[in-house]
Amino acid sequence: MAGATMAAAAGAPAAAPGPPWRQRLRFFAAVLRARPAFALGYAIVALVVATGVLAPLIVPYGPMVADPNVYLLPPSWQHLLGTDGTGMDIFSRVLAAPRVDLTIAMLGTLVSAALGATIGAIVGYYEGQRTWRTALSTFVMRAADVLQAFPVFVFAIALVAVFGQSVRSIVIAIAFVNTPIYLRLMRGQVLSIRRLRYVEAAYVAGASDVAILLRHVIPNAIAPVLAQLSVNVGWSVLLTAGLSFVGAGVVAPTPEWGSMIAMGFQNVVTGQWWPSVFPGIALGLTVFGFALVGASIEVLADPAQRRVLSGSLR
Amino acid sequence: MTTKPIGGQVHRRDVLKAGAAAAAGAMVPASLGMPEAQAATSSTLVVAAPATPQSLDSNFDVSLGTFEAVAALYDNLLEFAKIPDPKVPGAFREDIADHPDKPAGLAVQGKLAESFELDPNGKWIRFQLRKGVKSNWGNELTADDVKWTWDRKFGLKAIGGFYLSTLGLENPEGVKVEGPYTVSITLDNPNPLLAKLQPNLYAPIFDSKKCKEVATADDPWARKFMDNNSAGFGPYRLDQLQRGQQAVFKARPDYYLGKPAMETVIFREVPTSATRAALLQGGAVDVAQYLQPLEIIKLRSLPGVAVDSVASSFMIWLELNSKIEPFDNVKVRQAMNFAFPQEQVLKTVFQGLAEPLTGCMPNIYAGFTEKFWKYKYDPEMAKALLKEAGMASGFKTSLAYNAGDPVQEPIAILYQTALREIGVELQLKKIPAATFYNAVSERKQPMIFYVDSPWCPDIGYSMTLYFNSGSFIDYSNYKNDEVDKLLKDTARTADENARVEMMTKAQEIVMSEAPWVFIAFPGYHFARRADLKGFTYYTSNNIRFQDFSRSA
Repeated sequence: MAGATMAAAAGAPAAAPGPPWRQRLRFFAAVLRARPAFALGYAIVALVVATGVLAPLIVPYGPMVADPNVYLLPPSWQHLLGTDGTGMDIFSRVLAAPRVDLTIAMLGTLVSAALGATIGAIVGYYEGQRTWRTALSTFVMRAADVLQAFPVFVFAIALVAVFGQSVRSIVIAIAFVNTPIYLRLMRGQVLSIRRLRYVEAAYVAGASDVAILLRHVIPNAIAPVLAQLSVNVGWSVLLTAGLSFVGAGVVAPTPEWGSMIAMGFQNVVTGQWWPSVFPGIALGLTVFGFALVGASIEVLADPAQRRVLSGSLR
Repeated sequence: MTTKPIGGQVHRRDVLKAGAAAAAGAMVPASLGMPEAQAATSSTLVVAAPATPQSLDSNFDVSLGTFEAVAALYDNLLEFAKIPDPKVPGAFREDIADHPDKPAGLAVQGKLAESFELDPNGKWIRFQLRKGVKSNWGNELTADDVKWTWDRKFGLKAIGGFYLSTLGLENPEGVKVEGPYTVSITLDNPNPLLAKLQPNLYAPIFDSKKCKEVATADDPWARKFMDNNSAGFGPYRLDQLQRGQQAVFKARPDYYLGKPAMETVIFREVPTSATRAALLQGGAVDVAQYLQPLEIIKLRSLPGVAVDSVASSFMIWLELNSKIEPFDNVKVRQAMNFAFPQEQVLKTVFQGLAEPLTGCMPNIYAGFTEKFWKYKYDPEMAKALLKEAGMASGFKTSLAYNAGDPVQEPIAILYQTALREIGVELQLKKIPAATFYNAVSERKQPMIFYVDSPWCPDIGYSMTLYFNSGSFIDYSNYKNDEVDKLLKDTARTADENARVEMMTKAQEIVMSEAPWVFIAFPGYHFARRADLKGFTYYTSNNIRFQDFSRSA
């Protein structure tokens, strides 16, 4: 919807006739050809997601089965990425880890986006009016300031400590620390949109605040929030791994990259680098992939950059 | 530090190793700079420890760094004689064996006390103190110091209260000043530990004159002062304490046994064991404490580094909470032991550096027996026992472990896999190191790891700590009336043969009822620079800086 409008406004390349979705797809494909890094990002994300989904079918060993007869074996044909200190197969665990990491990261990000966007829309819509709602809006923004003033990682550790060590707690922690980001994004958008003529027209026509927000404001303000999602998923994967690394994440021996790095990093000094290096590579690639996807969305959502791209694609 | 010939061929692997060492060095706090770290050429001892002392008051703190601090700053009335370790050349250990020919039947000798007399029935002990012994504040040791030290235990209870109850010392009048340098302790009932407990690390003597000077009406026992300062007769004085960074100790030139060879001791906090190992490997520290088995194995093979591995009083086990289902059932507890893959854990996690825990007290203490050990890994037996207990289909439970102890997580994972074979679903609970001992002492976990050692090398003391239902560290909530009675009787007689007989029976009952999952005797592994000599093993499992010197 919004993308199509922007694409048209930006003067998309002389497109072949066809429905709008086909035009958008062609433009998207052209962008990927022009910026191969973006294509790499999408490929990595697709691979990680596919691995997570198919893990139970493709892992050669149980990712949570310890076999003391094969502990700390270096990479070989039997164990492609070696085994860890308890004899668990690292290849199987690296493949299974996205199921945990991505699930947590996506859930946490979606919850924070829904929560932040909703609160941001309400705060932005009522800001500046001389009612009790203004006081509430001010309070919410200052509360967000306070939340964002804390170092994110330390704050997340504290939340996990309060709620207990579980997947649910990590999702809550991620949602909590990300919510102010979406709140601010949405508020900024709503502040500018609420003064547009069509919103005023809806108000004059007698539409309720809820109806105006749901039908006219939020749909037109949501694009930057969606662009932020991808960046945040990657960042949340990193936060999940970080929490696990310091022992505040998932419960062992759940296959999770941060937890695997934590279990193996002490062995680096004694020469067994593989238990921590391979999960580290997987983690780095995943975050890199999501960062590239986020960057591509930013480019695609920014009319100025779209114009430049359109020009270069002609 | 080791030196390689100049101009030798440099391999890619050497470069990578150097890079890894540099990276490990970068993880070390900036305060570990090279000038201070090059301790090997001087009379400075640099120790890389997991933690600096939290408090210097032995009445309240049992953190790792505090043990070393107390041993450096304070002295006891008696000590065990030292003997060469029978298995490790160059190492020494306390002679804790029974010596029926000697006073108290032990190889104890005077330290702050010049001599002592012990009632053959174990009801009283009298000490003649050395004359001219000065504290780090210049005050002379007198019988008043000994009396005040015991009074402080009565006044503050806490850890001191444990020693009072262990001895059965019920009122302060039991400690009597008989002269300026003569003091006695008299009990209402005979106690076999009257002499044996004196060398205990946490039974040091305080400088009462200094303590009284700094005491206030609100703080009559100088608690605040003793947290951060010392008032003792030990070989060192505290020069600096920056918690979380380092403690610095200076040798006392006026120490009554002569100034220690190591004039300055820098006791640095390096939380990660891999970093401690890398620092020792690089020569930046003289001693790296509490390393992981793999690190010890690697250090053993390196030039310039030595590891002394001696038998110790350490034990590691899992507490099976006898008040929480299903571990209130003896058969379930036995099944949990038969399902534990002890041999594999010793091989993989401990790298063969530990011995199997085949009893319920340290195997280096007189009276230990492994004849009641029967829990060799046998999943079929475990299944049969679960069936007898009415739990043929297994059950769900949880195991809590210490995030700060690197061996516990892999043991837990191996056990989790093994338990699946008998239908037991084990959930692992990682507990931060800072709160782990709270979790242990709350006794609310169905299963929890525990690593400990009874410091007093005595059969009755060891068994009472863990299996007397009234003991404050009976963390498995174990209760057996017959065992309680045997322990009580053992504490009331000085007849060593009768004590061993009663404690053998108690061991039989405990091993049969299995309140623990028996894991390992991990041993004590002291990693040091090769030129450092004098390592002595104490049953309190800490080092004493005054033991060390450097070979020429």
